[in-house]
Amino acid sequence: MEIFLQLIYSGIALGMIYGVIAFGYQLTFATSGTLNFGQGESLMLGALVGLSLVGTIHGGPYLNYWVMIPVVVIFGAAQGAFVEWIGVRPAIKIKSEFGWIMSTIALAIIFKNVAENIWGKDDLKFPSPLPEAPIKFLGANVLPMEIVVVIGALAMMAMVELFNRKSIYGKAVVATSNDRDAASLMGINTGAVITFSYALSSVTAAVAGVLVAPLTLTGATMGSVLGLKAFAVAIIGGLTSGVGVIVGGLILGIAETTTGYYISTGYKDVPGLVLLLLVLAVKPAGLFGKMAIKKV
Amino acid sequence: MKINSKSFLLMVVGLVALGLYPVLVPNPYYIHLVETILIYAILLFGLDIVVGYTGQVSLGHAGLFGVGSYTAGALFFKLGVPFLLAVPAAIGVTAVFGAVLALPALRVTGPYLAMVTLAFGTIIQILINEMTFLTEGPIGIKVHKPIFFGHKLTEVEYFYVVAVLMVLALVVVHRILKSHLGRAFEALRDSPVACDCMGVSVYRYKVYAFVISAALAGLAGSLYAYSEEYISPNTYNFELTIMFLLAVIMGGRKTRSGALIGAVIVVMLPSLLSDIELFRKIATVLAVAVSGMAVYNFIRKVKTVRELAVPVLATMAMAGFSFRLENITDWRLTIFGLMTLFVVYYLQDGVVGFARELFARFAKPAAHASGKTPSIKVRAWTAPHKAAPVSAGPLLDAQQVLMQFGGLRALNQVDLSIARGSIHGLIGPNGSGKSTMMNVLTGIYQPTAGQVVFNGQSLAGQTPSHIALSGIARTFQNVQLFGEMTATDNVLVGLHHTFKSNTLDVMLRTPRYLREDAAAREQAASLLDFVGLTNLSEEQARNLPYGKQRMLEIARALGLGPRLLLLDEPAAGLPPADLPELTKMIQKIRDHGITVILIEHHMDVVMGISDTVSVLDFGQKIAEGKPADVQSNPAVVEAYLGSGEGAH
Repeated sequence: MEIFLQLIYSGIALGMIYGVIAFGYQLTFATSGTLNFGQGESLMLGALVGLSLVGTIHGGPYLNYWVMIPVVVIFGAAQGAFVEWIGVRPAIKIKSEFGWIMSTIALAIIFKNVAENIWGKDDLKFPSPLPEAPIKFLGANVLPMEIVVVIGALAMMAMVELFNRKSIYGKAVVATSNDRDAASLMGINTGAVITFSYALSSVTAAVAGVLVAPLTLTGATMGSVLGLKAFAVAIIGGLTSGVGVIVGGLILGIAETTTGYYISTGYKDVPGLVLLLLVLAVKPAGLFGKMAIKKV
Repeated sequence: MKINSKSFLLMVVGLVALGLYPVLVPNPYYIHLVETILIYAILLFGLDIVVGYTGQVSLGHAGLFGVGSYTAGALFFKLGVPFLLAVPAAIGVTAVFGAVLALPALRVTGPYLAMVTLAFGTIIQILINEMTFLTEGPIGIKVHKPIFFGHKLTEVEYFYVVAVLMVLALVVVHRILKSHLGRAFEALRDSPVACDCMGVSVYRYKVYAFVISAALAGLAGSLYAYSEEYISPNTYNFELTIMFLLAVIMGGRKTRSGALIGAVIVVMLPSLLSDIELFRKIATVLAVAVSGMAVYNFIRKVKTVRELAVPVLATMAMAGFSFRLENITDWRLTIFGLMTLFVVYYLQDGVVGFARELFARFAKPAAHASGKTPSIKVRAWTAPHKAAPVSAGPLLDAQQVLMQFGGLRALNQVDLSIARGSIHGLIGPNGSGKSTMMNVLTGIYQPTAGQVVFNGQSLAGQTPSHIALSGIARTFQNVQLFGEMTATDNVLVGLHHTFKSNTLDVMLRTPRYLREDAAAREQAASLLDFVGLTNLSEEQARNLPYGKQRMLEIARALGLGPRLLLLDEPAAGLPPADLPELTKMIQKIRDHGITVILIEHHMDVVMGISDTVSVLDFGQKIAEGKPADVQSNPAVVEAYLGSGEGAH
């Protein structure tokens, strides 16, 4: 029972990371109908830039872990805006779905390769800002960093939601999500809103990267699998529902840790895909998503 | 269908070159290289069906390729199954995998297929690694060349096996794509809605396309296993998937020659990228070429400085970078990524498309004869005689139809009864719910409440394609033609239901298929004649003038052989002088026994030919009756002109 509870805990922490990345997919999908297939690489770059700042790899440490986060936020925003500028904007202009899928993938390949050349191909240890001794919680062990991951992930999503609901800029984002053409006719610079949503989405991924890095190892290859799992979460939860990604993330995270322990670590990724296909077969818009009405 | 002499000559040259290659170049390394190109080409033919024709993005083809390889490999290794059984088994198993993947993923539009296939590719690699009892895991499986009657094939003999299978795959794919199946694939990409309304289920044909594509990937995968004689999980990675997609786009989508050229490029690419001297030369030439093009385009003022800055700076940076580079293998993937970006944005139609454009620019315009007279004898169009009516009473009976979008009632408990053989006008101000009614009748919207009975059968819960096949055809207010297809092909999609041939008939070109094809083409020609488009029959639909596009929509809808035809503003975009002709045409359609519902803003057209007119306003039916009565109805006058009492 104790082991099971422990698996649940680490499943929740893992699931929240998936949830945050999936949330990033939602942000850009809402405003532009596109998403960044290199979201996992945004996370990886965030984590590695963070590592250079707090670790010893590039002659550091330069900064304290908590002071490093704002720097990573700025880096993430720039990286997301770059992806949008190079990969997505031209594709939206020519209305090519193939275009943005291929170009975001191509950028992801480039980012990964560049990271390999800067930080090396091996996984690196990320120094933990909190004690690494587990604490007892409801009869099972939990790492302090796992708690930070859950709180951090929820706080990020809450902040974005709050921004969208309360601020005038947030209203521009919501308006663009609802009807890009109408928003543009109302004088909203929808191009800027889309760039902003990409920046925001990469920020969430980059911060998720530095949150999860102390728990796992950091390296150029860490992003692809996380990004892929987050796809499954986005589809299971629905590409339009905020609650969906949290619930979807938790389902996938817990399914993964329990499968990994009770069956085999090699198979831990399989339940996610099976779940994904089942959800698509039964409720294609996702567990919490709404079906869009097509106009003729 | 028609083989012109130039492409026939090219085909013969290609076949001879393929046959003589091992004799002329006996080096086993180069024979193996070309063998790999041929195997990739088989897969690319299939991938092009999904990517080029149906416009879906699959990121799982490396996974499917792996399924094919491992099915053949495991059957051989574990059970000693011979080549002749292992290859069909690999095709079958991969097709099943494709179906399992496509059936759920294609129910939704958007990037879902890409996401699901990406996940699939990863899972396949994991499974190959983990299921050691079948696949031997990371150790891999050793396969040797097939044995026929106790004779083990040599490299050269196996080359010929692959070459023959490649040519067969080429012929089969070409036949499928030129048949009604291929037209359905192409149509669903250009306009899914119109495709469904022509009785061609978009979902079903997307799945077909994906399954055919998977089967070809299975064939390629199994041949690859025998060709390499050793398979291991790492081959079937994400990089390979991207390479396949790059090949399709770089070669040129929607052409078989493009797939072949793409295969050549991606097979040669790794060796190209391992030679730094060669790469430096290529990068320099590319930078000079792109800068030259940019200057040329700038002087001709077709592009702005901003548009040109990105490619010029990127290629220059790459050239500069190539000279600072010491070890190219570390940066292989970056170069690969940059190439993908370049191809996606600057070479969208691939090498073949680029060559065609160049050729078209320099060739004399006379060579492009658009007014070719079709070789088919044109007969006057006659509506196919459908079985006798199932029931007496009205042809269509809609009762208490309610269509609600959130808080808006686009249709509020509307009754509509259409008498057999009549022309029924449906009018009302903009936003009154006319087009919504059309969408409800054709199944694009499921009404919130109420029911529609057509020819004695309820339409509740029926898909648009099913409703279309049961006899309701339509045109669209905003034209929904299949833009990249010719006028004839557009009408042929409408005639899709006349084909009873299955995929096998198409592959073998059986007499049944040939008979059906000839009949459909004859019918299409007479339909085009009926709407006056005979001399534009080989023109792409998107190049037709607006009024002609509307006529083409009518011809396409008539191809369905409907009992009921819904015309949504057919007169929009027609010059006034053509209106009497349109009126005559609609009457002629009615005289063929087809009931017509006519939505139109030209009152003289509607009032002139309608037997009955219904008027909608704010989602409610406010009047119905003979044209003259409706015209003098005060409620109708108020709806159109407002009441005389001023604002409330």
